[in-house]
Amino acid sequence: MPELKYDPYNLIITGVGGQGNVMSSRIIGNMMSLKGFFVTIGETFGASQRGGSVMSHVRISTKETVSPQIPKGKAHMIVSLEPSETIRVLMDYGNPAVQVITNTRPTHPIGVISGQAEYPSDQNIEEWINEISSKAWFFDATEMAVKIGHPIFSNIIMAGALAATNELPLDREIFETIMNTKFNPDKAKSNLEAYDQGVASIV
Amino acid sequence: MSIFTEEQNGTRHLLMGNEAIVRGAIEAGLDVAAGYPGTPSSEIIETLAKYAEKNNHYVEWSVNEKVALEVAAAGSFSGLRSLAVMKQPGLNVASDFLLHLSASGTRGPMVLLCADDPGALSSINEGETRFYARLMEIPLIEPGNFQEAKDMMKWAFELSEEIRNIVLVRTVTRLSHASGNVTLGERKESVGKAFFKNDGFILDPMEGSVMSAPVAYKHGEQQVKLKRCAEIFEKSPFNVYEGPVNPELLIITSSICDLYSKEAVSLLNAEKRVGILKLGTTFPLPPKLIEQYLAKADKILIVEEVLPFLEESIKVLAAELAPTIGAKQFFGKANGDIPMVNELNPDIVVTALSSILGIEYKEVDEEYKKRASEICFFGSPARETTFCPGCPHRASFFSINKNISMDNRSGFTCGDIGCYSMGMLPGGFSTLKTLHAMGSGTGLASGFGKMTKFGMEQPVVSVCGDSTFFHSAMPPLVNAIHNNSNLTMIVLDNSGTAMTGFQPHPGLEVDATGSEAPKIDIPSVCKGMGVNVEVCDPFDLAKTQETLFKFLESDGVNVLVLKQICALSPEKKGKKMFNMSIDDSVCLGGECGCNKMCTRVLSCPGLIWDRETEKSTINDVICIGCGVCASVCPSGAIKKEEA
Amino acid sequence: MKISGSNELLEQIQNNNLCVGCGACVGICPYFKAHKGKVAMTFSCDRTEGRCYAHCPGTETDYDVLANELFNKPYEEKPIGNYIKIYGAKAGEKAVNGSFQNGGTVTTLMKFAMEKGLIDSAVLTDSIDMIPDPQIVTKSDEIGNFSSTKYMASPTVSKFNEAIKMGHKKIGVVGTPCQMKAIGKIKSNPLDREEFKKPETFLIGLFCTWAVDTKNFIKLLESKTDISKIKSMDIPPPPAEVFILKTETEAIEIPLDDIRKIVPEGCSLCPDMTCEWADISVGAFEGRSGWNTLIVRTKKGEELINSAISEGYLTVEEFPDENVTHLTKGSVGKKKRGLAKREELMKSMDQNDNGSATAPSVVGFR
Repeated sequence: MPELKYDPYNLIITGVGGQGNVMSSRIIGNMMSLKGFFVTIGETFGASQRGGSVMSHVRISTKETVSPQIPKGKAHMIVSLEPSETIRVLMDYGNPAVQVITNTRPTHPIGVISGQAEYPSDQNIEEWINEISSKAWFFDATEMAVKIGHPIFSNIIMAGALAATNELPLDREIFETIMNTKFNPDKAKSNLEAYDQGVASIV
Repeated sequence: MSIFTEEQNGTRHLLMGNEAIVRGAIEAGLDVAAGYPGTPSSEIIETLAKYAEKNNHYVEWSVNEKVALEVAAAGSFSGLRSLAVMKQPGLNVASDFLLHLSASGTRGPMVLLCADDPGALSSINEGETRFYARLMEIPLIEPGNFQEAKDMMKWAFELSEEIRNIVLVRTVTRLSHASGNVTLGERKESVGKAFFKNDGFILDPMEGSVMSAPVAYKHGEQQVKLKRCAEIFEKSPFNVYEGPVNPELLIITSSICDLYSKEAVSLLNAEKRVGILKLGTTFPLPPKLIEQYLAKADKILIVEEVLPFLEESIKVLAAELAPTIGAKQFFGKANGDIPMVNELNPDIVVTALSSILGIEYKEVDEEYKKRASEICFFGSPARETTFCPGCPHRASFFSINKNISMDNRSGFTCGDIGCYSMGMLPGGFSTLKTLHAMGSGTGLASGFGKMTKFGMEQPVVSVCGDSTFFHSAMPPLVNAIHNNSNLTMIVLDNSGTAMTGFQPHPGLEVDATGSEAPKIDIPSVCKGMGVNVEVCDPFDLAKTQETLFKFLESDGVNVLVLKQICALSPEKKGKKMFNMSIDDSVCLGGECGCNKMCTRVLSCPGLIWDRETEKSTINDVICIGCGVCASVCPSGAIKKEEA
Repeated sequence: MKISGSNELLEQIQNNNLCVGCGACVGICPYFKAHKGKVAMTFSCDRTEGRCYAHCPGTETDYDVLANELFNKPYEEKPIGNYIKIYGAKAGEKAVNGSFQNGGTVTTLMKFAMEKGLIDSAVLTDSIDMIPDPQIVTKSDEIGNFSSTKYMASPTVSKFNEAIKMGHKKIGVVGTPCQMKAIGKIKSNPLDREEFKKPETFLIGLFCTWAVDTKNFIKLLESKTDISKIKSMDIPPPPAEVFILKTETEAIEIPLDDIRKIVPEGCSLCPDMTCEWADISVGAFEGRSGWNTLIVRTKKGEELINSAISEGYLTVEEFPDENVTHLTKGSVGKKKRGLAKREELMKSMDQNDNGSATAPSVVGFR
């Protein structure tokens, strides 16, 4: 088993209910588990799925199962399907060394839709995230996903992007194996395409 | 190749807590399982049902938790291994039968799996299962991680077989819905053959009548079984101590709090000062084991969620043991170190530990925290939970709220449990004014509708979902009819138990395993009770409001079924009903005469308020094309075209 | 003159029980709705300036604006308002006979106005199950069906709003003083909306001492008889002090004091008995059954009356001086009572609101 940069490695995958957060965390978790790591995933769904903020804590260890909740301020990597959610997670779990990969496509909360709250500009979001992280990647995963066929593929794009950072020993063969065992060939093909596009988004 | 149908002994998998529980039950040789959906327990029956045919199990979604427990008990009485599954509030529903069952005893091994939700992540209370064990005098075991979720589940059946009584297994959201690595074990054969012996001597537990009488005798037997449990628990491998031989502080904990405690000790680098006793068997407590560890330390911290269940039991033991182990200093709920509300996490345990041990702890650099908070204030607008785009409930509550306002007699709506509970929130126009247990909306409405005697003239409405209707809204409806109450009951029928993931219910033509099943028609049931019933499509706002007006103004009990399938249902998901568009030149935006009716009031996530143009637009990625916004637009700017 | 929004309207008018249900705020936005004589807000609106507030006859009103619009001169405070002439009047021999409450003057004139092309539509008040139901009529032969006194508050102005929205350019309205005042405010386009096309209007005002709250009135009637059997309602001239319900078989008397109890608070503030903001005003002719009092207020009103008389649609006679004195006395009485009540209310609001700015704007009369 390769060594980890941190043990446990604390990864947070965040977004808005319905964006495929859970699927993303499960696929990444399974990729690591198949490599022999201990993986603990904590996630909230149920009521929080209905348009609310969602978050999965994926913790990878060479030694043991750990708390499904990451302690505050201890995230190593935040993968986010929605930009304002990135900022929300950074407030609780961020630290000067944290790295971030974020989809830049906003999903407006109802407070913004109803005009009572304001959604930050793309530029502000980028500046702020850069300010409170050590490294950050930004791209419009939703746009790419829609081109593949459905906005939901953005969750796999993000997984591919995470792999390309080389922060974790995620390899494409394992991803392919999981796709071929869990999905029908059509879906698996689109998911592989999404994964590869995610990989290509990290430069 | 599925771990739920194959042996795969010794293989290692990443499993969700609920999946581990399912595997544990399968390894134990399960025959019968019944439950009612409720987060975070729903995946258990769902998974069992999916593989029921292959495994030759009988698995059902029962109409409610009490019936689920009864169905499972029938399995046990027939000599089979049976399981009942529910979330904590469901245990309250099932508790009437449980009181009698725990006294009558079981035959085939029987386990009751209850999922608690500390912090109410998916509930409207954080009720406790653990106290039921004490109240019902049945053993309680609590897995502390994913491997234990499987292993203890399997063991629960063995324990039940040994003591011939039901065993309560408690899980929590953070275990059931979290995932971790589990190594599979051996699969036992199911019993597979059912026969209910009933012609033996009346007091014969295995062949006589199954009942809780004669009470003193049966109650006594029950307590003997419990004593036997305590003895077994003394040697249980699920009670584990980790730490120095003589720690400065002993943490006693159970369930998922074990992992929080371990994390907290590690964050403070206090492994040499703190020992952790993790209990898997939390009722009855094994007194010798507790004595052995209490004796090791002078300071004891009890880490558990919500109420001080362990804390109080351990303090009682400590008081009895004081002559031999000496006086102890306790930390936990009583001194305020561990809060009595909400779920725990590693940070809360760290805070308690750092104050007891005098170790300073900072989660992150102060300046970073301050700046991140500032950025979050501007960068992360609050994201309130709301109805999904295209959700029929949004349209239903829009109509209910509008009609009640227009009716102008201070009418109000009593809520119930389901997605539509969000009718409490601004996203549901704050329509619901009461919210309690399953079926309680109509029960309350039945009562309110009789307050006319004391001068109350407000029209009363209750809402309930289709699954809730069968679960427990029928008795209050009968009550309202028989007692000549005045109310409008609205059944928000979205064709499934949507909140928990579309489990079927008696109103659908399919059962838990996907087989065809007789469907019970809600309007016919109501008609059979003798009330006026109408069915409308909530997306047809005009017809819905016209009908509701009529009902609000008429006396007696009226039932309005608002039928429209859930937007997330497998049948509907990803299919647009209409292609929506907004004509910019017609949209009034924020002007007098509209003031953002669609975005500000209806506030469907499928809409966007464009601050620059001051017009509404459609969010094509999110909109599912239900067309409701076109019906509320006062200027006809929103257009819908058949998709 | 401060124009506020719906929140202030609710705070100042509805919540003080001063809404008279005229319907001026209804039909311009999706929020205000009229139902059974009551106006309610369905969902909240956060605009700080709204037509709902600006149109309401209960909020602060600039009488000069209304007077300039109608009479081409600033407001002059007169007991029975601005007028050219007062007649005793009834439908002429050319008018089709209908079942009129009094002299049939209103129905006849509205029909005549439409037939002459002075108006292309008329906002009139019918009733459904006793509840006033305003409607827009575009055919003159349908006008005869609306001729009975409703006594209840009716959201008539909502249909005026609707008629404008529908694009009618010449609109006739029969209404009470509060409704006519609202129409005057609407025509002044208080929010300066570019798309607003001011319609020509022909306004027939009805004398009004008060109206009753619809829901409470129906409740009262229901306690006396089966309301579906009621054929007519009437208040005989003083000193009778009763309200009479007639069914086919009986006449039921209700003491006027019982009726006054269900008069909306807003009516008691009203200073206008003879409906000053109309082209002509019509009421009962005391002491002359089958005749109306007809006050001609504007040039437009005068021209129509003259041709109606000359073409035999209207029969008029001189209005006796002693009746003018009597009418003036009644009108001054209502003004005094209304003003006194308003002062009392403002005082109590001053105390309640610590003298905040809300109180003065509840003035319906300058």
